[in-house]
Amino acid sequence: MPNTDDFRVKRIHKMLLEMARGNFFYSLEPSDKNDNIASLVVMLNMVNEEIGAAFIHQGFANAHNTPQCIIQLSLLLDTNGTIEMVTNGSCSLLSALPKEIIGKNIMELMTEPSKKIWAKKMVKHLKRDRSETVLFLELITKDGLLVAQNCQISVFQALDGSGRKIVLNSVFFSKGEPFETGLPKNKLKVTKGIKEHKVTLTPEDIQMIREVHDMILNNLDKDLPLLKDLALQKGTNEYKLKYGFKQIYGTSVFRFLTQERLRKSKTLIQHSNLSLKEIAHMTGFKSPAHFSRAFRGKYGKTPTDLRG
Amino acid sequence: MRISHENQYAIYLLTEELLHIIYKKSLCIDLKAAQLIVRDRMMLQKGRKMPVLCDIREVLRVNKPARDYLALEGSQWITALAFLIDPPVSDVISSIYLGTHAETVPTRSFTKKSEALAFLKMNGRI
Repeated sequence: MPNTDDFRVKRIHKMLLEMARGNFFYSLEPSDKNDNIASLVVMLNMVNEEIGAAFIHQGFANAHNTPQCIIQLSLLLDTNGTIEMVTNGSCSLLSALPKEIIGKNIMELMTEPSKKIWAKKMVKHLKRDRSETVLFLELITKDGLLVAQNCQISVFQALDGSGRKIVLNSVFFSKGEPFETGLPKNKLKVTKGIKEHKVTLTPEDIQMIREVHDMILNNLDKDLPLLKDLALQKGTNEYKLKYGFKQIYGTSVFRFLTQERLRKSKTLIQHSNLSLKEIAHMTGFKSPAHFSRAFRGKYGKTPTDLRG
Repeated sequence: MRISHENQYAIYLLTEELLHIIYKKSLCIDLKAAQLIVRDRMMLQKGRKMPVLCDIREVLRVNKPARDYLALEGSQWITALAFLIDPPVSDVISSIYLGTHAETVPTRSFTKKSEALAFLKMNGRI
């Protein structure tokens, strides 16, 4: 039954419905088949991840008015993993009633890989009186969708003498409202700090800023032209480029450039034999000292320490 | 000279002209897997830039952190990239990957290995 096309399409419908509601934390279990429905499932999962990331990011870029709704998954378990308490938010997340969850073993809600992780890791943590860890777990909702997330697991000693308990917690972002009401849907407003909106970005502007973003990524080793020249080259003005970029990507052009250079350099430090001087040069840093300082600023240690 | 290497997620075959990476069947390529795959690739290449043939026909899923890592940190020392796919599933994976990340080097998907190799020969010279 779970493998009939009808059943699989129904799962896809449920997933799409959740996405329409602004819930991007569900996913579908990939199958072993290589058919059109399987490809649709794979695509849906990936599109969902992309939209979800853009969605939260959009909230971040507009941080002063982000009524992000947070759903907390919270379960209280005994040491066998039997669920003793569940919050209402967790029930709606798992689309089940409290009575359908309480009394069940947490493993019954997990996918096979997660069951293995749970069984393996919890043995160790349950040996101690107190312990905390983060596990990546996939829970299956009653509708058959997956909720995959890092979960904070705490083992503690109950005060009433009933022994140790386990708390399982995780947080999900749900529908937020990154745009103000009454705004045309295809236009983003640019804000300067938390002041009023000043520039309106058209879809063409957004496309242009994306091109600048990709251009930076592809030329990390080269000097960035002046913003003024870059804007001129793209047929826009410096102001729009500067604040539009910040609006869309949540960071300034130069910070983005430095951040991406550092990411690239980190991989080179870890996995190549190139000297730090060469790496600094290859990733567009003017001097090894500047490189070292910037690297430390981001990763907390110097390139030399990382290689050490 | 041919060098081969294998880890949990992939098999690598390094020749004079190109690096052939065959992804093994696994449930999901996540960030940890992607980092391991890139680490071993860079270890084999030793700083040499070359065309890469990625056989992703057995891949079922690559999650977003892994896709981002492979596209940004994980795309160094590649002169051209060809995916070997088996539609429809791995076709969709490569299309989304290519459609959502800036193309840093010539990249295309093929169902025939011979065509992929021809593409790499055309585009992957240093």
